[in-house]
Amino acid sequence: MIDVVGFLISWLTFLGIYGILAISLNFESGTSGVTNFGKAFFYGLGAYIGASLTVYLFLLLNNIDVSKVSPFDVEGIVYLGQFATKNPLLNIGLFILSLLLAFIVAGIVGYLLSYPIIRVGPAFVGFTLLSTGELFRIFVLHYKPLGESKGIMSIPHPFAWIPNPTVRTALYLAVVLGFLALTYFVFNRIYNSPLGRTLRAVRDDEVAALCLGKHVPKLKATVLFIGSGFAGIAGVLMAFYLGSISPTYDMIGPPITFNVWAMIILGGMGNLTGSILGAIIFTFLDRLLIFVTPNLGITVFSPDYIRGFLVGFLIVAVLLFRPQGILKEGKIETLAWKVYEEEVKGEKSG
Amino acid sequence: MTQQTGKSMFSVQFIAAVLVALIAGVAIGFAASGLFAPPQQQPQQPAGGQPSVSKKVIQIGFTLPLTGELSSIGKIWEKVAQMAIEDLNKEVQAYGFNVEFKAVILDDGTSVEKAVSNVQTLAQQGIKVIIGPAASSQVKAVKSFADSNQIVIISPSSTAPTLAIPNDFIFRTVGSDAGQAKVLAALAFQEGARKVIVFHRNDEYGNAFADFFAKEFAQLGGKAVDMPYQAGLSDYAAEVNSLASKVQSEKADAVVLIAFDTDGGNILSHAAESNVLSSVRWFLSEGPHGAAELKTPAVGAFAAKVKLLGTRPLFVANPLYEQFKQNLKQRFGVDATVFCDNLYDAVMLAGWAILRAGSNDGNAIRNALVEVAKHYYGVSGWTIFDSAGDKANQDYGVWAIVKTGAGYDFKDVGVFERGQIVFTEEPYP
Amino acid sequence: MLPIDQNTILNFLFYSFFYLLFAVPLTLSYRTTKVINFAHANFITYGAYVAVFLNGLLGNKSLLLASLLAFLVSGTLAIVSYFFVFKPLEKRGASMSLIMISSMGLWIMYNYLLYMLADIAHFFSGVNFVSYGRILYTDVPEITIGSLRLSSGFIAVCATAVGMSLFFYIFLNKTSLGKAMRAVADNPVLAEISGIQRDKVITFTWLITGGVVGVGGAIWTSFSGTVTPTTGDAMILQVFTIAFIGGLVSLLRTGIGAFVIALIENVGISLLNAWFGVPTSFRTFLTFVALLVILIAFPPLGAAGGLPFRYRKKRGGAK
Repeated sequence: MIDVVGFLISWLTFLGIYGILAISLNFESGTSGVTNFGKAFFYGLGAYIGASLTVYLFLLLNNIDVSKVSPFDVEGIVYLGQFATKNPLLNIGLFILSLLLAFIVAGIVGYLLSYPIIRVGPAFVGFTLLSTGELFRIFVLHYKPLGESKGIMSIPHPFAWIPNPTVRTALYLAVVLGFLALTYFVFNRIYNSPLGRTLRAVRDDEVAALCLGKHVPKLKATVLFIGSGFAGIAGVLMAFYLGSISPTYDMIGPPITFNVWAMIILGGMGNLTGSILGAIIFTFLDRLLIFVTPNLGITVFSPDYIRGFLVGFLIVAVLLFRPQGILKEGKIETLAWKVYEEEVKGEKSG
Repeated sequence: MTQQTGKSMFSVQFIAAVLVALIAGVAIGFAASGLFAPPQQQPQQPAGGQPSVSKKVIQIGFTLPLTGELSSIGKIWEKVAQMAIEDLNKEVQAYGFNVEFKAVILDDGTSVEKAVSNVQTLAQQGIKVIIGPAASSQVKAVKSFADSNQIVIISPSSTAPTLAIPNDFIFRTVGSDAGQAKVLAALAFQEGARKVIVFHRNDEYGNAFADFFAKEFAQLGGKAVDMPYQAGLSDYAAEVNSLASKVQSEKADAVVLIAFDTDGGNILSHAAESNVLSSVRWFLSEGPHGAAELKTPAVGAFAAKVKLLGTRPLFVANPLYEQFKQNLKQRFGVDATVFCDNLYDAVMLAGWAILRAGSNDGNAIRNALVEVAKHYYGVSGWTIFDSAGDKANQDYGVWAIVKTGAGYDFKDVGVFERGQIVFTEEPYP
Repeated sequence: MLPIDQNTILNFLFYSFFYLLFAVPLTLSYRTTKVINFAHANFITYGAYVAVFLNGLLGNKSLLLASLLAFLVSGTLAIVSYFFVFKPLEKRGASMSLIMISSMGLWIMYNYLLYMLADIAHFFSGVNFVSYGRILYTDVPEITIGSLRLSSGFIAVCATAVGMSLFFYIFLNKTSLGKAMRAVADNPVLAEISGIQRDKVITFTWLITGGVVGVGGAIWTSFSGTVTPTTGDAMILQVFTIAFIGGLVSLLRTGIGAFVIALIENVGISLLNAWFGVPTSFRTFLTFVALLVILIAFPPLGAAGGLPFRYRKKRGGAK
């Protein structure tokens, strides 16, 4: 018997978080032409800001001397666990504060990074951001106030005070999906606006956009601000969901960036719905295969290798079959367009 | 900027095809798990003859690092897990239980998110006990899910002190490194080292071990200089260089290496090439023990030159362990390396706890596990847990790399007894 | 006292030569094919594993044989990737990011495939291939000059790296195929018009890229203490860093980048550790800092870098 509800909740939470990352990346790279290979950097930055802030403040506001009891040692962790269920307002308040702060800080860092990125030229934007991400990760690995190699643990869940775990995770899923919807809405509005049109122009031909008087560096900086901000939010959501973050290569390093890139290309660059579709395929397939591979009865090699192999194979296969992704780029529908459609098309049929 | 016009029909068809494929995949997946992993009660009536009694199948989940940085250990663990399940089934049937345990082994790629995904999906299949994950960072990430959903997690190798939390669902069948650091410090001091460079991985395992070691060594009257190196690289020649210059500048008389097997083997291979490093003593943690790279002639000769000694968790002269090693080699063709015994016992404990609990309730299984472990003595010794769910009692032994007829091999040459290292034989004449 | 002994210098040279072997073909492949290829990591690992399998399954101790076979295997892998994936995608007008992601898919596939092969080999032979020790080859000599002992691995990689550099120099400048390759790299359309068969040139480029890198991987097994299926992956960021220092177009700059990074990684971190107490675990941190500094201070030529003209500060009134 399979716990379908549990499966859906856990899968959809991951989907939501990766969906936010995918939408923001698609907007940066697909629509605006800023090939962002540092998604993991802003994601990790947001996660660390949210988590460390919460953990420190939580202990402080519960009258524990943080200079004596570090939130990264067993004592602090036990306290965090004990107090997590006592004060619902505190949990939720810190959660909201983390989200806000992560958005702002990650956004500002993205904005600031846009200058050196533009300076190195379009071919190197990606790798510069990737290196910055690794620099951040290695720095955190050594930095004691952020938990160095221990990472941050026992992050108080915003709904820890709810005794029923299914309700708790379902509620959190609702929050995550809410943010996914918000992300989609925000980027959709920007996409279907004169700003969106300008960004596509910048992507397609920067020189032409410049000739038309568009302030390209500022546009790119704005794009990175918003995109990174949402990546920071995704980081906070994941940190609170898992309850712990570690500065390991796979958690806040290049693999996250690569996975999100695969999702947006599968789903279709330049199409926001496509990013969600790509995220769905990616996250679902991995979990689905867990049901299948151990039962295949293969003994000559570990059958779970097929799972990883198929993920890679799927990427290649979909791309070969449909290089532009599953959903192609839609046209921009600003308010003016809608008016046009009504008037002109209305005329034709009338 | 090529937009295909007039292809909307095609894209709709394509989306439909993808959705159908996904749904078909889901159906196959559920069917497969239902087909190959039979439900709990499966009455079988063979044609003719005596009616055979139905065997209940219970699944134990495993999330092992079969790819990624810990894959060298993970691959051997896979064999140990299979052997453990076989042995468990034999024993359980000998006791008259009509039960068959089945292992569901997944790869988590030494990655945190995959470990979470594995644990979640295993739990959603109805599995209540999961052995693994290997890395402390992974255990931390699965903890909140395990605690909320009452899934018993038994990790055979995570030693982070920050996971020693009572009243949760995380159990570890391996002792804390605090104990081992004490033994290593005693070993180094007893062998005459007064100023050592602690060359360790810059992750939680290495940092915690190095901290414990420095404290213990200082208590004995020595001085430890800390030198972390980044884990997960493909080669450590540059780090070994820095180590050599540090040894020279600090005029250290020994190096303490705290590493896993692949980086340990790599480091020792490079150290063998350095004159500076070949003229000081070397003391190792348990990580590199058992690694095939340390049995090569180059490292073997190096070990003899520097009189290399290491510590590892070991119940001295445990006949069960000797038998276990032999069985593993004979039946599965692999040598037992570090934590294999902890993994084997974890599986045994899991099986007996499930039987003792008699139900599929996570809480009941957890309580049963604590009770079973109290009375169980396995290949890793006495498995009793402390209040935080970690292995309470652990003895340590001293190992060396000795020359045998066929080359080089590992040999246990001493024990830690009443605060002193007692050698049972002279490893390096 | 400088904390540099002869071993440090030797290791610095070792790494430089290896990075040369790994990074220069990457620059060459990008320059000619405009594909950022993540499967490059697999070329390294497969080359190493050819040597490992030969040694573990057949007891081979000849570096020459291992290298030749590694050249063939990795070269074939590259050509197969091109033929079945990159070429069809290019024909359909896929963008560069797309081909890059497809190479990422290949990277994942090849990785798991290698794990499966290692498992199958273990099943039939009982030898553990997931972590393999250093291989001692008997056909390359060890040279001792005074007190300086040059291991066989050093001789091999030095000879190969120097040989490769010479080969590339002569090939790209003197032979017609080499010049054709440069033509395709600089201006594909014009090259085709002047009769150069782009397809053949690119196939050959991939063969050389995969092949040379594979040979590097095979020689790596004589240097490194442990070879695992993640050997190439753990190095790929550094290799890309070096290629990026070369601007992805200049082979010479890539070569210089190889030496610079090897210097920083070996000598630099030693010095920083001895003089300033910087922990050795900052090694890769330094590599990336070096990359960023070089990229920002000296934006590579041929990459159209820099702020758009309008937004640069006007210097002294000149417009």
